[in-house]
Amino acid sequence: MTRRTGIKELLALIAALALVAAAGEAAAQKGGQTPILSGPLVKLDIKEAQIETAKGKPKGTFRIAQHFALDPGWLDPLEHIFALTMQTYDYLVHDALIKPMPQGEATYSLAEHAELAADFRRAAFRLRPGLKFHDGQPLSTADVKWTYENYKGAHAKLFRDKLEHIQIVDDRTIVFHFKEPFLEFMDLYNGAVSGIGWIVPKHYYEKVGRDGFKAKPIGAGPYKFVSQQAGVQMDFEAWEEYWRRTPAAKTIVVKGIRDNAARLAGLQTGELDLAFGMTGKVLPQVMADKNLRWVPNFTSVWHLAFPGYNEPDSPFHDKRVRQAVSLAINREFLVRQETQGVGKVWGNWISPENRDALKGDGKDLPLPEHNIAKAKQVLAQTKFPNGFEFEWFVPFVPYFDMGERILTDLRAVGIRGKLQSLEGPAFRAKMGQGRKGFPGNRTIVQNIDPRPGGAKATIGVYAVCGSPASIVCEPQIEELWTKHEASKNLDERDRLNKAIQKILVEEYYMVPIYWNPFVHAIGPRVLPEGKGIERYYDTLHAPYPWPWEVWEVRADR
Amino acid sequence: MRKYVLLRGFYSLVTLWLLVTIIFAMVRLTGDPVAMKGEIGADATYLERIKHDWGLDQPVYWQYTGFIGNLLKGDFGHSFEKSLPVRDIYFERLPNSLKLGFAAFVISLALGVPFGMLSALKVNTWWDNAGKMIALLGLSMPGFFVGLVLIIIFGVQLGWLPVLGKGSSAFVWSNPATWAPFWFRDWPHLAMPAFALGWYFSGAMLRITRSGMLDVLGSDYIKLVRLKGVPERMVVAKHALKNSLIPVLTFAGLNLLIMVNVAVVIEVIFNWPGVGQLLYDGLSNRDFPMVQGVVLMSGLMIVMLNFVIDVLYGYVDPRIRLSR
Repeated sequence: MTRRTGIKELLALIAALALVAAAGEAAAQKGGQTPILSGPLVKLDIKEAQIETAKGKPKGTFRIAQHFALDPGWLDPLEHIFALTMQTYDYLVHDALIKPMPQGEATYSLAEHAELAADFRRAAFRLRPGLKFHDGQPLSTADVKWTYENYKGAHAKLFRDKLEHIQIVDDRTIVFHFKEPFLEFMDLYNGAVSGIGWIVPKHYYEKVGRDGFKAKPIGAGPYKFVSQQAGVQMDFEAWEEYWRRTPAAKTIVVKGIRDNAARLAGLQTGELDLAFGMTGKVLPQVMADKNLRWVPNFTSVWHLAFPGYNEPDSPFHDKRVRQAVSLAINREFLVRQETQGVGKVWGNWISPENRDALKGDGKDLPLPEHNIAKAKQVLAQTKFPNGFEFEWFVPFVPYFDMGERILTDLRAVGIRGKLQSLEGPAFRAKMGQGRKGFPGNRTIVQNIDPRPGGAKATIGVYAVCGSPASIVCEPQIEELWTKHEASKNLDERDRLNKAIQKILVEEYYMVPIYWNPFVHAIGPRVLPEGKGIERYYDTLHAPYPWPWEVWEVRADR
Repeated sequence: MRKYVLLRGFYSLVTLWLLVTIIFAMVRLTGDPVAMKGEIGADATYLERIKHDWGLDQPVYWQYTGFIGNLLKGDFGHSFEKSLPVRDIYFERLPNSLKLGFAAFVISLALGVPFGMLSALKVNTWWDNAGKMIALLGLSMPGFFVGLVLIIIFGVQLGWLPVLGKGSSAFVWSNPATWAPFWFRDWPHLAMPAFALGWYFSGAMLRITRSGMLDVLGSDYIKLVRLKGVPERMVVAKHALKNSLIPVLTFAGLNLLIMVNVAVVIEVIFNWPGVGQLLYDGLSNRDFPMVQGVVLMSGLMIVMLNFVIDVLYGYVDPRIRLSR
């Protein structure tokens, strides 16, 4: 780069920053956002909602196939589980103060303004004017407070333990006071990570009770719940008074269809418009069908872990053995076999959609190498120069073919094991127990976790000694993590988080494989025709294409 | 007779009690259901809260007495996985299973009985060989394979029949106006799953009809009827058929219960919302109340059928009731 070009770029950057700052100030004044909290505030990165008023009447029935049975419990944000699947229903029936949208990972939704005190002890929100629930009752700060106080789902204890009291300033303004600095509040309160920010109507919930709410919920989201056959189907109808825009599709029908071939047949016969989880054996058929379109929908990264590696008699105790495992895997082949070449070989085990994740494309972390000769050479320096037998290779269900292929690759360097095929829930239960879930210390686990909440959330689950699902427990990482948790400095936390990621990959505690496309197949009734459908997949961290109100389909015949 | 009926009723109740007790114990051997709901990395307090909500923090004997107490009140408990009362979910699904089961039952009878008879009447001829071939195909081609072939041909290629679900008609227990339309609408949705399910059972039905018919045709009383010069058509229709159908109908009754309660694979392939899928989901997700509820209801049907058969046997044959 020449000196002149460098100066030009610097000037351009300063000009751009000035413009952004001016625009931010103008936007704040335009919205008439008077401050709620006194004292210094944290600069929040929450994007403005895109309000679209000039939309026509909703039309057509949009039929979606989920790849497992439907749980009516997903309709109740108060009992929000960790799984991202539940948010499909949050985005249909309910609405959150802030939530991920195409505009940004945190985007204003029911709230039009938020503040977080610099000491992280207070957070405040101002709701949009005129918000309502589906039954026409106003949505106010009393509902926000009631939802917080009655929330029992993921992270509930943390929210309860941190809270000192909730102050309702008026119908639209609310302030949360915390006993101690609550640094993660805005991240966790975001609709991506927990259910506490998805507002439940106090008057209705108290009237119908917990079961009644799950059987027939109401919310403030773009679609009204109509009916359900528990486990099989849920029907929703457009709510034309939704504040952001009139939903495009008149009716949304979600079906739980476990069988891949049945989902494909449903798309081909026109009984379905969108099917999830079309990777693997059905993908070539989806790609070959001229009437169908597909979206790669990258989620997270396949990786290997070694439960019990830190016990001295484990073969995986030796870093060089873990390195040999990594070198033996032919990732390019796996990408072709499993994803028809759509996946991307990746050098970090955490999804790059996390803003705090190191990029595994060679930028922050190198692309993993496939080198059999080097693998053998590395292995020759260990206690196992001719390889060894390990007990089980446990693949994420139902990716057994992928597991078989990896076993074949490992066999090529003399590392031999057997495949353990578990049922999906059994695999999840074992992973939930972390190291304790896998007896012995000669097991390799193949996992993927598209977890929201940033890279730190994934590290906190698998790579910290105190976590119930911990697989990696290393003093070096523990020290950095303790500092991370104690730090009130966001930049320092980010630095520590990235240092941990580097150790996990460079020491081969986690062996990344490839960035997985969780392919969705789309039928011909979905508009627009052609590649335009990709715009439905702009929301970050969304294994499913939220928000739903933008999906357009042809009118029913 | 009254004493006999009461005794049979008592045995039925004991059988049901044993069934629910065994199921109660066995589902608890499958592992911890909280781990299923909690997801990986869930904090301990959250898991404890779920455990408490589900009553799994109580001692097992207490869970058991609560379970039996609730059963006596007609309450099967709350589904862990589907978060609603098991009874509501089960009875919402039961009419769908009955519809599929009855349709498949009729198909299995319509295919199995006439071909079985034909095979027996034309024994060791081309007809018999064809019948044996059909029986072999029925027994060796699993329902899921037949189902997928049907989907590809009639659903995807020809576009004649829908491939998913049961259609829009619903059976609402509290609304009698829905009862009749439920049975007579959405037949295109029913055609393929009922055939795929009935096909498998038709093979067994054919074999049983054939062997029953051959036994009867070789019996002394049929020989006597023939010696009397009764036309062959009458021999078969009036004398042989009725007697040869007794084992067929007993077998068919049990088949019907199987078709209603455990048509899991067919239900999964055609996305048919029946009770078989409930049981499968319940087992996969360690949903104890769901498994207990579905098994209890299936057991109840079998016990009731056996009770009715026992009573009828006792009624028609006094030797049976006197011997007990």
